[in-house]
Amino acid sequence: MSARRPLPTPPTFATGAVRVFSLSLGEMLWSRRTVFLLLVTGAPVFLALVARIVQGTGVVPLRVNGAAVDGGSIFGMMIWLFFLRFIVPVLGVFYGTSLIADEIEDRTITYLFTRPIRRGAVLVGKYLAYVVCTTLVVLPSVVLVYFLVVPIGQVAQTFTAFAADLGLLALGLAAYGALFALVGAALKRPLVSGLVFVFGWEQIALVVPGYLKRFTIAHYVQGLVPHAMPSEGIAAVLQSVLRENPPALVCILALAAIVGVSLFLGVRAVESREYVLDQ
Amino acid sequence: MSILATEHLSKWYGQVSGLNDVTVSIPAGITGLLGPNGAGKSTFMKLITGQLRPSKGQVRLLGEPIWGNPALYQRVGFCPEQDAFYERMTGREWVTALTGLHGLDEKTAADAAAEAIAAVELTEAADRKIGSYSKGMRQRIKLAQAIAHQPELLILDEPLSGMDPLMRRRTVKQIKEWARGGTSVLVSSHILHEIESMTGNIVLINNGRIVAEGDVHHIRDLIDEHPHTVSIRTPQAQAIARELLAEEGIVSVRFEPGGLVVETARPDAFYARVTDLAASGRFGPIHEVTSPDDNLQAVFRYLVKA
Amino acid sequence: MPIHDQGYRRYGGRLRPHGTAWWVIARQQMRAVLSQKRYVILLILAWIPFVARVVQIYLAANFQQAAFLATSAQLFRNFLDQQGIAVFLLIVGASGAIADDRRANALQVYLSKPLTRVEYIAGKLFAPLAFVLGVTLLPALLLLVVHVAFAGSLSFVTQNLYLLPAILLLSITQALVGTFTMVALSSLSKSRRFTALTFTGLFFFTTAMYQALLRITGSSLWALMSPRDLLSVIGDAAFRIPGPRALPLWAALLGVAVIIASSVLVLERRIRGVEVVK
Repeated sequence: MSARRPLPTPPTFATGAVRVFSLSLGEMLWSRRTVFLLLVTGAPVFLALVARIVQGTGVVPLRVNGAAVDGGSIFGMMIWLFFLRFIVPVLGVFYGTSLIADEIEDRTITYLFTRPIRRGAVLVGKYLAYVVCTTLVVLPSVVLVYFLVVPIGQVAQTFTAFAADLGLLALGLAAYGALFALVGAALKRPLVSGLVFVFGWEQIALVVPGYLKRFTIAHYVQGLVPHAMPSEGIAAVLQSVLRENPPALVCILALAAIVGVSLFLGVRAVESREYVLDQ
Repeated sequence: MSILATEHLSKWYGQVSGLNDVTVSIPAGITGLLGPNGAGKSTFMKLITGQLRPSKGQVRLLGEPIWGNPALYQRVGFCPEQDAFYERMTGREWVTALTGLHGLDEKTAADAAAEAIAAVELTEAADRKIGSYSKGMRQRIKLAQAIAHQPELLILDEPLSGMDPLMRRRTVKQIKEWARGGTSVLVSSHILHEIESMTGNIVLINNGRIVAEGDVHHIRDLIDEHPHTVSIRTPQAQAIARELLAEEGIVSVRFEPGGLVVETARPDAFYARVTDLAASGRFGPIHEVTSPDDNLQAVFRYLVKA
Repeated sequence: MPIHDQGYRRYGGRLRPHGTAWWVIARQQMRAVLSQKRYVILLILAWIPFVARVVQIYLAANFQQAAFLATSAQLFRNFLDQQGIAVFLLIVGASGAIADDRRANALQVYLSKPLTRVEYIAGKLFAPLAFVLGVTLLPALLLLVVHVAFAGSLSFVTQNLYLLPAILLLSITQALVGTFTMVALSSLSKSRRFTALTFTGLFFFTTAMYQALLRITGSSLWALMSPRDLLSVIGDAAFRIPGPRALPLWAALLGVAVIIASSVLVLERRIRGVEVVK
């Protein structure tokens, strides 16, 4: 070995998180899991393409109660039905619960936890990689869908709502990801808890009158949506009837608080928990 | 100064005791950590590397507690036992990325990684994906990530596993070189003769407790209930035997082709007597005097089965 | 010490005939899932709808006021539809069927024994299939028996002879589609979590996709992409439920056959004793 280098200063929390982010982003983007991500986000693009083709034949692609639905409204429905109700929460569960769990399962967590960076920085770094990875895939999908279903003539009047959609989807990904990062760090079997939260708790809480809906992420994400909620099925009808529309600022602050609190608690969980690897 | 000190260290997994009241002080240099399967070696390794929190007692590495003290990893390098990697990364990328987590800038981390990879003789394969490496190469790249940041203390869990005999020898030689360079090394292994080739200083764990620590020969001497076995090669076996039987502490004498094997409870006096007999020349030549059980294997066998 | 002196001897007993090794794997799988408390709880919960239906049948048979609860083909159809908990049984019990073996590099060990790939796959399929049928087919058949017992006559059964084959067809098709899909997905990954999520995604997402495409294009041929809707068509046809169907029965059966065949193809390609790393 060459002469000893002077001992560098241990990285700060932020620097450590950034370094882990760099390490994890490549792993996340080029993993097989991303194939799943692309399939899921590609489906609405495929639907939009079909709608565009149908429209090109002169047939109205969508009617509600006999009335033709314009491109902007179709886009709004797709945001609701696919991105908000399925893609964003499922990606949050899928990636968020896996941030630490995958490293444990793969037994690579030892390499990260025996570095001079706080364990919490590892979690935050991987969370940042998740946010970048998912927004890099989801938002372009939304852009493609938008330009496929919304006629050029309507772009000017719908562009603000479109920009708002991009922002709220990114916030939704961040919020769900942070919450499930906490679940993944704190619980031994986070996947079932995550699915129960998304497909059980949130669906029930949104239709029950009262304060319960404030304990969901969907309530705040949906509060930011500029489009009308489609009424498909009883649950959706109930949700649209019982929906409250908190002010946008309240929604943004609540989502930011969810991200902050979840990450804070996740950092604490990771730093205090022992992770016993399967031999 | 001790590089690792534990005091009444215990770890329970629910009702099961993994480690029980271990107090040990490991000095600088190379130390071998030995124990049969299920002895508590892995638990001990996890506790001293800060992966587990002690249920009781404390662990101090280089004078500082390890649990919840990530800054200490600046000075410690760990090569775990598990065969786990980011398979899609090349060896160089992986070691560089992990070295970068020590606070080194990008260029320095890359240089340090290259140096470490060269030290484990993997330069040619450094730009191949780890997923394509053989078992021995994977083991070596693991070593590289442990040493790249030039730690003061290296903790190696089964570092020679999966290596071919030639590479094992080279790695043992490399470990000794690191130790000569000032790095203390704690090696956990099942391969007794290789630990012996690295160091005479051992810590032996069994049933969650430290059974012995220190120099292997010194430990051997302390095992009073097991007499020393000495093999003497001589053409005058019977004459030598007659002389030796008159000595105190002789437990048994057995004749073998070309010599005899003696068990003695007083090895120091015995060796002195054999030297006198050889020097006197009265009983013909004594070609060889060896002790088949003054080694780590015998110590391990005696203490573990006791 | 020579191995003979340590008591080792060649096995002198009877050997199982070739082709029965699949049962060893199946048995091990069943023991493994039944040792999980949460799986046992799911199995118990899966029988709650059966109990509710038994109560319904009892009331209908013994109380005039409850005549509106009378047993019909729809009861069995609804019962099988409502056993969605079988999806969770697959997620919890079968997502790691092959993924765990791949993770542990156990495939090479298995296939180095006198065990063919077909036996290995059959063993892996058997356990989840048995448990799913245990909460769909078995309680549905028992409901028939319960009805006969409470009604005190076989008239309902003789008047609805198609019910037995309908129950068999729908429950077996549901179980086969779910099990083959899950085990095939399990062979694609080393992570049971990834498998479970992909299966869940496929399960919910394809239905949403079909509904959207139906609304956009007006064509119900898109039902071919949704296993849930294919099974719905088969169920409606088998139980002679009136009304328009998304697809003709033959198309739905073909769709199901394609799903199972694709799963078999995936399994055939993935279950190998060696893995080539490029």
